[in-house]
Amino acid sequence: MVEAALQICIAYYIIAILDPYIVSWQCLNRPIVVAPLAGLILGDFHTGIVMGASLESIFMGISAIGGSIPADATTSSIIAVAFTILTGASAEEGLAIALPIGTVMASISSLFTPIWASFAVYWEKLAVQCKPNKFLAQNLVFSCLTAPLVNTIILFLAVSFGVEGLNAFLASLPAWVMNGLAASASMMTAVGFAILTSMIWNKEVGVFFFVGYVLVAYAGLNTLAIAILGVAVAVTMFFSEKRIIDMKNSMSTQNANQGGTLANDEEDFF
Amino acid sequence: MEKKVLTSDEKKVLNKMFIRSHLVFLSFNMVKMEANGFTATMAPAIESIYKDDEEGKKAAYLRHQNFFNTHAVPFSFIAGLAYAMEKEHKEKNSIDGQTIESIKAALMGPTAGMFDSLFFNCLRIIAAGIAIGLCSQGSILGTLIFIVLYGLSQSLVKYFFVNWGYVYGTSFIDAVFSSGLMSALTKAASVLGLIMVGAMTASMVNVPLNCTINIGETSVVVGDVLNSIFPGLLSVVLLFLMVSLIKKGKRPTQLIVGILIFALVGAFFHIF
Repeated sequence: MVEAALQICIAYYIIAILDPYIVSWQCLNRPIVVAPLAGLILGDFHTGIVMGASLESIFMGISAIGGSIPADATTSSIIAVAFTILTGASAEEGLAIALPIGTVMASISSLFTPIWASFAVYWEKLAVQCKPNKFLAQNLVFSCLTAPLVNTIILFLAVSFGVEGLNAFLASLPAWVMNGLAASASMMTAVGFAILTSMIWNKEVGVFFFVGYVLVAYAGLNTLAIAILGVAVAVTMFFSEKRIIDMKNSMSTQNANQGGTLANDEEDFF
Repeated sequence: MEKKVLTSDEKKVLNKMFIRSHLVFLSFNMVKMEANGFTATMAPAIESIYKDDEEGKKAAYLRHQNFFNTHAVPFSFIAGLAYAMEKEHKEKNSIDGQTIESIKAALMGPTAGMFDSLFFNCLRIIAAGIAIGLCSQGSILGTLIFIVLYGLSQSLVKYFFVNWGYVYGTSFIDAVFSSGLMSALTKAASVLGLIMVGAMTASMVNVPLNCTINIGETSVVVGDVLNSIFPGLLSVVLLFLMVSLIKKGKRPTQLIVGILIFALVGAFFHIF
């Protein structure tokens, strides 16, 4: 079992790094690609392909809107294929084994989210050192060694020793640790937004922040609808500004003409 | 707007950016999401524009290390556009750093929504539909077709997007600048940027309060009360608390560690 688990983990690790980190298609980690690959590694390509089709239909509706990276479809597919090939069970039975492992993996790896987030400050420091190659290399190594590796280790433990042990570990953690870490992860996004807001904040138009906020919080519009409304406001703003600029320009031209000099009104304005 | 002819140097930079724009989720984290991918993609552009200008380079790297989040395909368009804006910023000083930030912030939300629908909810379903049919008959052709239709197609679109972002960005900024309307554009961009940041704050920042006060027989769910005053009141308070702390010169490390400790202590006392 341990040898098969090792093979599965290597397959998982390669895919987890390749997509989303290296190609960012969110395509190679889909069941229809992962399942045949797992089949190939475990020596039954055909079963892998056929299971890929049924697993893809099952996971088709599960989406990753809003920046979260789905691990469940990938993990569950690999485990389901492995279980089917190694024990001769059906795809549904394989999936029944695989889904709890995917869930445990997701909850353990979410414990690490705040830790990865706290590196954001380090990346900023590294970026302003103006050493792009160093920045890229460290980021690549970091991406390979953090989330995918942690998930691979959890996967290995789950496959070779069963999910019970991991569930017991999760249960032994006090509830406040889990809740606190989850709460901190969703509040940390505020830091990123705060840096962005403080960069583009401008007293004159700052109130428009709340226009966008209210359109989501009260009206529940999606971002495209808000963008269209926002463009309408921005275009109106642009043309009213343009009118002021034109007026100023024509006034300064008049003044210039009265003074009898042919000053460049463009330069006057700036 | 005249179509710009690219020099070989610009082509080289754009090709490098195209390759690097595949690293969208590089060191993805909850604080700045795709910022590392964006910095890595912008690096060839920043290096070629600023060369020996250490101060300008630093400011540019810092600018593109800000929070960023969109779909992987328009990511490359915005990167191309950012290249154009940085170039104009350095060479003609026609566009200021704040406008670059605003335009990026304005674009990330709507492009994410649009391309999630286009690629994830449409093209992926079509590709998977074809692939499932072939794979269920045991043919690996299905998987290959899926990778070509849903994977490689993204790279193809990205290639054109990074170029279009640069070419049209440059001619657009030139046109606005030469007509003397840059200050109008700056204002319009910051309005749109702020609207979109407000919208994204509402949907992404969350203070998951889970606190009930028992007064005799009745119990009050604090989160519900606050949300009935103003939905997500605490998220806005948290955000502007962070903004004011940043303006006071607090470092992001302190804020992140502060939030972590606050969340754990809060959870210990059953606030979260």
